[in-house]
Amino acid sequence: WPPFLMFLDAIAPLGHLGTQDGLISRSLLCHLLSSSKWERNEAETSTFISALGYTSADYYCHLVENIVSSLVTELRGNQFNELNIQGRISVSHVNAVSLFCIPLITLPDLTPLLETLLDYHGGASKEILSSEFLEAVNDALLKKKISLSEAAIFSLWHRHLPSLESATLNLLDQLISLQINSLEKVACVIKDSLLIQAASHPAIFRIVNEIFKNVLLETDGAPEVMTIIQVFMQLFIQVQQNENKQHKFPLKAYFPHHQQPLVIALLRRPFELPSTHWLQHLKHISDMLKSIVEDTNISSFADLYEIWFLVACFGEWLDIAAEQLMKGAVAPDALLWLLAFYYCPENENQQRTQTMVESRAVYSHLMMFYNRTVLSFGELQASVNNIADTEQYHTQCLVTHLLTNFLLFSSGGHMIAQEFISHITETTDMSKEVCTLLIRTAYRIKHNGGENQRTVKLLNELLQKLALKV
Amino acid sequence: MEAVLGQVAELPALFAVSRSAQVRDWEPPTLDRALDWARYFQHLHDRFRGRPRLRDALERRLRRGGTDSPLSFRHLGGCSELLGLALLENRALQPAACRRLLQRFLQGQAGPDPGRLVLLARRKAASRLLESCALSPTEPGPRVCVEARLLLCRLREDGREAGPALCWLGPVLEQLSQPRAFAVVAEALLQGDGDSPAGGQGGGAEAGSVADPLLSWLLEDPHRFSACCLLLPGTLLASLADRYARLSRRYLDLLAEWGSQLLYDSLRGRWVKSRPDEAKLCWEELRERFGCLCQGSVQLREQTQAALKLLKARDGDFQIRGLSVWTDLLLELEKDLRKKQSPNV
Repeated sequence: WPPFLMFLDAIAPLGHLGTQDGLISRSLLCHLLSSSKWERNEAETSTFISALGYTSADYYCHLVENIVSSLVTELRGNQFNELNIQGRISVSHVNAVSLFCIPLITLPDLTPLLETLLDYHGGASKEILSSEFLEAVNDALLKKKISLSEAAIFSLWHRHLPSLESATLNLLDQLISLQINSLEKVACVIKDSLLIQAASHPAIFRIVNEIFKNVLLETDGAPEVMTIIQVFMQLFIQVQQNENKQHKFPLKAYFPHHQQPLVIALLRRPFELPSTHWLQHLKHISDMLKSIVEDTNISSFADLYEIWFLVACFGEWLDIAAEQLMKGAVAPDALLWLLAFYYCPENENQQRTQTMVESRAVYSHLMMFYNRTVLSFGELQASVNNIADTEQYHTQCLVTHLLTNFLLFSSGGHMIAQEFISHITETTDMSKEVCTLLIRTAYRIKHNGGENQRTVKLLNELLQKLALKV
Repeated sequence: MEAVLGQVAELPALFAVSRSAQVRDWEPPTLDRALDWARYFQHLHDRFRGRPRLRDALERRLRRGGTDSPLSFRHLGGCSELLGLALLENRALQPAACRRLLQRFLQGQAGPDPGRLVLLARRKAASRLLESCALSPTEPGPRVCVEARLLLCRLREDGREAGPALCWLGPVLEQLSQPRAFAVVAEALLQGDGDSPAGGQGGGAEAGSVADPLLSWLLEDPHRFSACCLLLPGTLLASLADRYARLSRRYLDLLAEWGSQLLYDSLRGRWVKSRPDEAKLCWEELRERFGCLCQGSVQLREQTQAALKLLKARDGDFQIRGLSVWTDLLLELEKDLRKKQSPNV
């Protein structure tokens, strides 16, 4: 039984119909359902309607529709007249309408009125609609109890910051609770949330960006969260590029605090450049970043985090940097620096420099194995173990990143990939990092293409095995 | 088929009883039977909906049944709901039968199914809530609009023949108080397509056939028409006159009749009612009515002015005030027209 009927049954059980309670139950049903004779101003309506052959169900269906559409017309009309008639409808009246709507939000007939209210701008600087109304609408939206037009949703997020915040956090919650073994699903959920489309408005983009930054800090840079943010940004760029030129905002509107050349470089999607140019592009990014970080003497944590976050958001390039290194890049220092910065942005106590030194050592070792077609598990483990002793978490991450790429992209590495990855996931704390990296790499290769079949096959096998474990 | 027709002929009686005090004697089994019959009739409606000839046969039989408010095929369709709700509202129903009714309601075997029931309750609550926050209450209200719309729906359903409409329209409209009935009919005439501005029956047979029964009802009885023109505001009547030539002619005639009942009081310098208890409109009201007519379309304004000029001529074609009410009216209306054409200098 629907909840309403259960409620009815609870307050006035049918068993007592001869009594006062029974009368209440019956009057209540009458009152709720019919254009009753027992109510003064509706008495004649009831007989007229049923004489025509219609029921109260028909009547109220039309009545609600009529009232809603005249309210909508009034509100819209007032908008256009705003210029010459100084608010025919007072601000407090519109506020009252929004309050009245709160218990009715999930009634489908009301959707046009909700959309009109959300679009309504009375010219006042303060918010006209009641905040309880806006919260209630957002709540119903997130729980998928109602569906509104995209324009109305964007209006809601524009005018009511808490709604935008809870929509963003809701998205993150949803994604984190998914068992992510493929980024396709993540992309799907992100697109459904409409936040990407809404983020075309710079104000909304900047707020969502801030929320991401905070969540990342709160979760201590958890790799899943980072990956989600990266996918979000990729989809965002995609939408920006697909949108027609008319409505474009300048890049500075989205990234006001950063130097534009760096932003432009990071926003390039890899598939826009031929793969032979990637190295050059990465060196360019690395050089720019280095000059910003080392030469301009960034002192505060906030500023450093700001720039680090920008780079991390477009982490696709970082992954490609690691890949290029493991494919035998010439002049690796720039790429190594980039990765070292990502894993260890601070250098007050020379942490980054230290990381750089250690990872260069690992890199050299790995490059010695680069041309080997056959490699044994023991050999690799021996050379890496020296470094694995390091207590530095950053270095461990970086080394794991390099190692995983080595296993995927070198012919020697292929043979022992399965075994070695199992070893890493079982004996170190790096299993989450490895997992996430493999998932990201699979997604990246799928969208950028150009990778040989053997690597793709290996990747799929590794992922399957990991999915089973999880 | 004959058997079915015989059964269907019982429906008007069933409805009548369900609203009367006779239900006092109903036991739960009687109630069950009544509701089961309702469901059977509903089933008939669904079966015959797509078969015009059988549907017409059923409808003819139904119409024979009730003398006041004859039923239609539509009543078969809403049978469960109509009967269920009629019984619910009937205070004469005894507790035992009532309990059975409510049980069936909640089980979805009487009236609308629980899903629709909940939707109905929510919609009713919504309309109550939102009605009270209407931004600028307009005439007519939403209720009158909806009643007019449902009236038009019913007329359109019967549309194919004009005949049937005329027989049920009167009794149905009598369910409303006179002022309400006029308001609803006026709104329906405005919502319907009306005559085309050229004055002909444009828009196809559809448009004409919906307005005709309503106009006929309004115009056939002079007392009724006169009452209507007194109760409805001048602006509304002017809009109607604009759309319907039949109405504009009768309306002008009526206004002429009322105007001729005014006498000039030289002492006070005003037109007053000659027989205060019998005369219908005072001078100001008459002037306002004519004023509204002149604010309509060009055609209506010309028609009004022509009628006034004719009346003025019949009275002796005086040019000065105080001798013929028509002269004075024309002078006032022309003054208004000049004001409108050259506003605040």
